[in-house]
Amino acid sequence: MRLGSLRAGLRKRAGAGAEVEAREWRGSVVLEGRARDWRSKVELGWYAAGFGYKGVVNDLEVEGLAPERPEAPGRPAGASLEGESFDVAVVGGGVVGCAIARELARWKVSVILLEKECDVAVHTSSRNDGMIHDGFAAKPGTLKARYNVEGNRLWGPLARELGIEFSRPGSLVLYDSRAAAALYPVMAARAAENRVEGWEFWGRGRVRAEEPGAPDSQRGGFFLPSAGVLSPYRATVALAECAAANGVRVSLETAVLGFDTEDARITRVRTNRGAFRAGAVVNAAGNWADHVAGYANDRFFSLHQRRGVDLVLDSRAGALQRHILAMPDLFQLHAKTKGGGLVVTTEGNVLVGPTAAEAPGREDYATSQAEMRELERHFRVNKLLSPSMVITYFAGVRPCTYEEDFVVERSDYVRNLVHAAGIQSPGLASAPAIAADVARSAIGILAERARVEPNPSFRAGRRAPVDPRRLSWEERAELVERRPDCGRIVCRCEEVSEGEVRDALRGLVPAASLDAVKRRTRAGAGRCHGGFCTPRVMEIIADEAGIPLPEVTKKGPGSPVALGRTKEAGRA
Amino acid sequence: MGETKSFVCVLCPRGCALEVDIGAPGPAPVRGNACPRGAEYGRLEAIDPRRSLTTTVATAFPGRPRLPVKSSGGIPLARLVEAARGLDSVLVDRPLRRGEVVAANLLGLGIDIVATDDLAAEELGDAMHGAGRAGEGA
Amino acid sequence: MLERLDRDVAVIGGGPAGLAAARAAASAGARVLVVEREERLGGILKQCVHEGFGLERFGEALAGPEYAAREAESALAAGAEARPGSFVARASREGGLFLLRCLRRGGAYELRARALVLATGCRERTDRQVLVQGDRPAGVLTAGLAQYLVNVQGLLPARRAVILGSGDIGLIMARRLTLEGAEVEGVYEIKAEPSGLSRNVRQCLEDFGIPLRLSTTVTAVHGKGRVAGVTLASVDQRGAPIRGSEREVECDGLVLSVGLIPENELAASLGLELDGLTRGPRADQSGACLAEGLYCCGNALHVNDLADYVSESGEAAGRAAAAYARGGPARRELLPVKAGSGVLYAVPQFLDLAAAGRGQVEAGARIYFRSNATLREGARLVLKAEGSGEVLLERSYRALRPPEMERVELELGRVPEGASALCLEISRKERGDGRD
Ligand SMILES: Cc1cc2nc3c(=O)[nH]c(=O)nc-3n(C[C@H](O)[C@H](O)[C@H](O)COP(=O)(O)OP(=O)(O)OC[C@H]3O[C@@H](n4cnc5c(N)ncnc54)[C@H](O)[C@@H]3O)c2cc1C
Ligand SMILES: Cc1cc2nc3c(=O)[nH]c(=O)nc-3n(C[C@H](O)[C@H](O)[C@H](O)COP(=O)(O)OP(=O)(O)OC[C@H]3O[C@@H](n4cnc5c(N)ncnc54)[C@H](O)[C@@H]3O)c2cc1C
Ligand code: SF4
Repeated sequence: MRLGSLRAGLRKRAGAGAEVEAREWRGSVVLEGRARDWRSKVELGWYAAGFGYKGVVNDLEVEGLAPERPEAPGRPAGASLEGESFDVAVVGGGVVGCAIARELARWKVSVILLEKECDVAVHTSSRNDGMIHDGFAAKPGTLKARYNVEGNRLWGPLARELGIEFSRPGSLVLYDSRAAAALYPVMAARAAENRVEGWEFWGRGRVRAEEPGAPDSQRGGFFLPSAGVLSPYRATVALAECAAANGVRVSLETAVLGFDTEDARITRVRTNRGAFRAGAVVNAAGNWADHVAGYANDRFFSLHQRRGVDLVLDSRAGALQRHILAMPDLFQLHAKTKGGGLVVTTEGNVLVGPTAAEAPGREDYATSQAEMRELERHFRVNKLLSPSMVITYFAGVRPCTYEEDFVVERSDYVRNLVHAAGIQSPGLASAPAIAADVARSAIGILAERARVEPNPSFRAGRRAPVDPRRLSWEERAELVERRPDCGRIVCRCEEVSEGEVRDALRGLVPAASLDAVKRRTRAGAGRCHGGFCTPRVMEIIADEAGIPLPEVTKKGPGSPVALGRTKEAGRA
Repeated sequence: MGETKSFVCVLCPRGCALEVDIGAPGPAPVRGNACPRGAEYGRLEAIDPRRSLTTTVATAFPGRPRLPVKSSGGIPLARLVEAARGLDSVLVDRPLRRGEVVAANLLGLGIDIVATDDLAAEELGDAMHGAGRAGEGA
Repeated sequence: MLERLDRDVAVIGGGPAGLAAARAAASAGARVLVVEREERLGGILKQCVHEGFGLERFGEALAGPEYAAREAESALAAGAEARPGSFVARASREGGLFLLRCLRRGGAYELRARALVLATGCRERTDRQVLVQGDRPAGVLTAGLAQYLVNVQGLLPARRAVILGSGDIGLIMARRLTLEGAEVEGVYEIKAEPSGLSRNVRQCLEDFGIPLRLSTTVTAVHGKGRVAGVTLASVDQRGAPIRGSEREVECDGLVLSVGLIPENELAASLGLELDGLTRGPRADQSGACLAEGLYCCGNALHVNDLADYVSESGEAAGRAAAAYARGGPARRELLPVKAGSGVLYAVPQFLDLAAAGRGQVEAGARIYFRSNATLREGARLVLKAEGSGEVLLERSYRALRPPEMERVELELGRVPEGASALCLEISRKERGDGRD
């Protein structure tokens, strides 16, 4: 029946030269054999997702494309974990893992957060638009819709607790066709279904008054006031620091390589720093979450990758736009993600994008000329902006299941494993809500064996680093008297001082590379792109870490900024 | 018969395209030069090209790890890289003024290497804190 | 306590432009303070260890630091004061004065001045601004940053470098890297001719056998941690990569020399509109901008290729700023200077005809310009008065190239009554048929 018609349909769609088999496994369906190409593999996966299985495990091979394996990490310097024991191990230091770790800290349990990179927020959590979506665009009835709307509400108080900037400029979706008006009732119904509040329809005149740069062709728009923005990497760092301040052990450069299981329980977590015992394990491994599930023989879904590229405009651009702007193609309302637009960040830059394209490469952040061109069409949405304002661009990769929804659940088969996987867009917006549920599940697992008490000394906030930009001139002058190094500006474009860089290097989750400093302080994120601050920040890193200058890296081991010193040739 | 060599004069930003006839007896005729210095340069360049060397030498001071220097005269072009390597082992360990000799008679060519910047005593601290207060007047 | 200072003239930037302005203003009797964010005076010249500065000004070929040190000494000797290590965070007007909010280690201070000279220099265009694609490893850097690493910090940014762009700083860095023991695989230029001076092609590349490949660009960078190589492609006449011409080259660093941009955030924050071509504020022959009491000079005004010209423009600005600070606003009579056919841009954008009467202009007004095309076979420049059509000045050149800035001097008395503007035009010499 179901499997039979799926097989027939797959064969029909697979095309000549392909060989596709399907079998059931623990309520999921596994696709095996060979697909014509990557595109076809993804399409077959989507097709299979329509058959109502728990998940689609897409193991189709594609000629010329070896299955991706995580890079084997070396044994890093620092503490070994061999023989240690934790109540909960969280795998993945993205926004989701860090938010979960912080939620877990509300309980009297020992928690370790494991991140394979030398900082948190290295992958998708620092490569996105920083938008806290209103929740309107998510398909009603999905986890995405539920967590997004809930997460959107939670971010307000959470940002205050963490001391990070968060604002709600609202999202304005413009239409350029008269027929758009006919859609308004449909949109109102969708908003009601997703429980998105406060929306309004704006006429042409109102749009023009609010956004002088809106195109002349606009015919009004749909305004969603709850849409917000924040700095995704600052938010992730803040969550991790708050977790650390409450006793969570944040272990960087620590890759989970496998699990030992016994009686359908994970007993030990194996890492490049040694193996340790864990009472419960949370899988928040982003683009590798299907692999991590596989380490526990619980791979009931698989991830395909959807690239997204954004252009970053000079911070001058931020003054030319008030709201998040988009002007979607009406015929693309059902595309897998919304079509991108123009987002004003908390720092005043404007992000143009993102694109959305299926492509292999879980950590492939190379950009291409074609992607730049594709993004140019967004400039029509605000005619005050222009491509000459581009200061940089970046790519990110969304981890997507074939069901195109989040996987947030306790494993059906491994008794102490909880998944927070397939967290594609709007994963940042949803993170606080996902974290609350996941932490509850993990605590539930522990509670099956012993009583778990709330942590009475939990502090929801953290000691936020000084952010001189938010001070008045007089306050700033006072700060410089107290902290002399806050008067020495090392990044001219973003006006970052030596003091802020030192704070970042001394944080609870310390920055150790130029990029890590940039994520925390914005030194090097401005229009000169590190031309001025690089040597100065290098000197401060070397000084704080007590290492010679040539050992300073851009983004961790293997990425030194300099390859030694001059004068070495003739002296050797 | 003589031959004609053509090259760009490097003495000033104007960069005149020079042509020099060599092989004939007497001072070689130079064409294309907009000034007399170019003629002299062209004649020498055709037979014995030389360049002044501008580079850096190491210091013992973390606040100013390198000191810019130049050669007091032209070094044969073919030996320029060799001359630079010869300076790799020089270490300046005292404050000095620009113009002072840092290395004498480089490669036995009779040419000295002189400092082109000052290295003032008060700026020789560590990389950031003691860094130069040079010229501070207010 | 917030420190408060008062001066006649405030100068932002202690490079050659700012130092010359400070010296000129101090010599004219003004109380001057130079605010410089780096720990030492001299601006970008501190890191330009090569020779060739000062031929015009001092009649000798000095190294950058020598030139800078001389200028710093003479500014201080003339009575100007300087505060290195301080950063101007905000500039505004308050009453009739400029208010600068400055930060330095251990203290913030406010500086009020009657006249303000902007001498903030320029910054470099980055790989992103020329849309280099591919991975994001360490080892991609601008030539100016490479220059700082090598010349000031003594670090080697690459052992085998590819240089993109044949601007002068790129050419000079090719030689510096070679002399410091690295290998330069080649210099690649998207245009059909080098952007830098011919002498630098000769003495920085040819002297060392470093290849220069024209009509070629870098389309992508490869490498995860550190640069492992780049993809090169030949380009067509419009600069677009030609499909099928891609080739990969192994290297561990990519150094970019793809242009400089005047640094004018403070100018913009004071409400000055920037010229789309020069990307600096518009100004008259003494650097006076369209807002009263505000002057701009050096690379902040437009990108110069000669430090000597930078100092010259600083002097003019400093002198005028001192006169303004001590005498108050004066009547100006502004006549636009236009870049006509064959001219890439001309600076200043205005001549103040009334300046002659105030004794600020000695010999006359200097007009700097660049041609918009390479004219190898000779070129002719004319300066015309619009309205009367009278030719005020004519000059012949053996060659003109966009990278080589030229300068002419005009006596203000020669401008005819009733001229509505001046216009600069360049044509090929022989045929006089304009540009190509
Ligand atoms: C271009 C783009 C724009 C987007 N815009 C938005 C937006 O505006 N709003 C929004 O809400 N969402 C947006 N998203 C989605 C959002 O960024 C993600 O949903 C979110 O960042 C996912 O966070 P994460 O913690 O699950 O993943 P990640 O940030 O990828 O974190 C997972 C971490 O796990 C680590 N890891 C993996 N395997 C192991 C292992 N074996 N051992 C140890 N560590 C491991 C990884 O190194 C990684 O750091 C966007 C995404 C993209 C690509
Ligand atoms: C990397 C590089 C290499 C160059 N190489 C050469 C060369 O070889 N030969 C040549 O003739 N020309 C060269 N040039 C051009 C050179 O810049 C000029 O010749 C000359 O140095 C410009 O002088 P300036 O005073 O206008 O600017 P700069 O020398 O750049 O001085 C500007 C000064 O202003 C300061 N400043 C800026 N903003 C602030 C602020 N907000 N607060 C306080 N201080 C501030 C800066 O720190 C700097 O010291 C180079 C330029 C660059 C960028
Ligand atoms: S010949 Fe004279 S003018 Fe011409 S480049 Fe040489 S020194 Fe300059």
